[in-house]
Amino acid sequence: MIEIKDLTKFYGKGESRFKALDGVSVSIEDGEFIVILGASGSGKSTFLNVISGLETSDGGTVAYDGQQLDKMSEKELTKFRRDNTAYIFQQYYLLPHLNVEKNVRMGADLDNNKDYLKFIEAVGLSEKRKKFPAELSGGEQQRVAIARALAKNPKVLFLDEPTGALDEKTGRQVLDYIIKLQQEQGFMMIMVTHNSNIAETSDRIIKMNSGKIVSITENTDKKTAYEIGW
Amino acid sequence: MIVSIKDSVKLFGISIMTCCAVTVCNLFLNYYLDLTAIADLIDNPYAQMFYDAHIMTAKVVCAVSGGCLAITTVVMLFFYIKHYIDIHSKEIGILKALGYSDFKIAKGFSVFGLSVFIGCMTGYLLSFLLMPQFYELQNKDGYLPELSIRFHWILFVLLVIIPTVVFAMIAVCKSLLKLRQPCVNLLKGIVKTKGKSRNTRDKKTFVGEMRSSVLRSRKTLVFFIAFSSFCFSAMIQMSASMKDLSSEMMGLMIFVIGVVLAFTTLYIAVSTVIRSNQKNIAMMRVFGYKNEECKRSVLDGYRPAAYIGFVIGSVYQYGLLRVMVDIVFAGVEGVPKYKFDFPVCFITLGVFIVVYEGIMFAYGQAMKRIPLKQIMSE
Repeated sequence: MIEIKDLTKFYGKGESRFKALDGVSVSIEDGEFIVILGASGSGKSTFLNVISGLETSDGGTVAYDGQQLDKMSEKELTKFRRDNTAYIFQQYYLLPHLNVEKNVRMGADLDNNKDYLKFIEAVGLSEKRKKFPAELSGGEQQRVAIARALAKNPKVLFLDEPTGALDEKTGRQVLDYIIKLQQEQGFMMIMVTHNSNIAETSDRIIKMNSGKIVSITENTDKKTAYEIGW
Repeated sequence: MIVSIKDSVKLFGISIMTCCAVTVCNLFLNYYLDLTAIADLIDNPYAQMFYDAHIMTAKVVCAVSGGCLAITTVVMLFFYIKHYIDIHSKEIGILKALGYSDFKIAKGFSVFGLSVFIGCMTGYLLSFLLMPQFYELQNKDGYLPELSIRFHWILFVLLVIIPTVVFAMIAVCKSLLKLRQPCVNLLKGIVKTKGKSRNTRDKKTFVGEMRSSVLRSRKTLVFFIAFSSFCFSAMIQMSASMKDLSSEMMGLMIFVIGVVLAFTTLYIAVSTVIRSNQKNIAMMRVFGYKNEECKRSVLDGYRPAAYIGFVIGSVYQYGLLRVMVDIVFAGVEGVPKYKFDFPVCFITLGVFIVVYEGIMFAYGQAMKRIPLKQIMSE
């Protein structure tokens, strides 16, 4: 469980200083799928980066099962990320000189996971496991990034606009993969997106504006990636 | 013009390399030309032997140091051009998409000749500063008639003008070859990769694979690291021997050149490795890899090349000094016997280990400062 209390974050100095997060508080249960919605500049990516430990906050607390992120040293934070979290970015960030299998091993080795090939199979890339990122389409690269993140068996998966760089068909395919795997494995999933249709696939929707949470909605009518508009 | 004069000035590695080469070559070639001018004045067999040995020394030193440093400079220039095109691929891709020809873009790379000019000119002037003392030491026993320093314009053309023009042309040709790729590849920054088509499971760990891929992706840097330790090993051991065989000044000159070349090349190589892997390091840390693991995967692969370079440097300096003593100065009285100096070799190795591992440790610590924002900012 993640407990977030009064989170604040500033960027810039002097007159250009602005509040990217303004007293954000929310709790997220284990196994939940949360979508964070908001326009560009609403603070949703900053929120994701702070609660995942990639950035530090200027105020407030983020606690994972009682363990506070802001009290951790750099070494403890690295261990925390190693044992608990995985990240999927809009721009994939695969290692260009390593093939699909070796990119997936980046995640798998951290959990001493010898059975990582099943994740490549799960994202439908078994035939392409020896291909390099430059030889794959955008959708395939994002699927590699998903396999890499899942191969480390994370307790929490953070996704920053995972379908943002994909066309509708590939976007739906990728989203479908992620949701199915989350349901199978039961990890917590927190996704940032500006596509409100994607929110219909989640358990809860958090809407943000100007660094604040403006609403938190339970989604009682969960849809699949193929049932939503795009 | 995509390549600016400022970009050329940034190639200080090339300037330092050419400066060292021209300093040594101009010292010995100027001395060689001034010696040949007094050939008729030599009237006894002993002086003739001494004269022949000095002529031969000048030729060997110029060929070895000039040739070796010229080849390394060409490799460095190729490396810089590849690196420049890699990091500016999007801008170059846009120019190509707008209709600029490869040649028009490649012409801009001729500016890189400026860094060669700066280095050559500095080396040329530096050699004239050292020349009075150098001439005095070469003839300290007075076997040869008195020599006066003369200016040879041909050396200025040969060591300053020609290298500048030739390197500018090489830069244009190399970039022309490098630009011959589809515009879309440049725009997307697509990295060429050569994979093995093995269908077996890879046994290496991710860190091991990463280490191999870092080495494979920039092979030139393996050469630079090996060259850096080669310079350190060869020049420092040679400078110790030179004190006995020639003079303290020669020893000091070789020591300074060796240290400058070694550190410059190592700095260029290691900072390039880290800069070009910043995003990968940040991604590894996002996933929870420790700093030691990031260092192991990015820097440790170069260690064998560094130690091999050291061994080659030791053998090279021994071989070169053996040739000088046994062939070039054979028969000249007063030349001390030369043997491989094991104590100096072990001391140099000890210093090398401390310095190399210390630098790698410092760079490893610097890797901690790569912000995770590195990957989020794009």
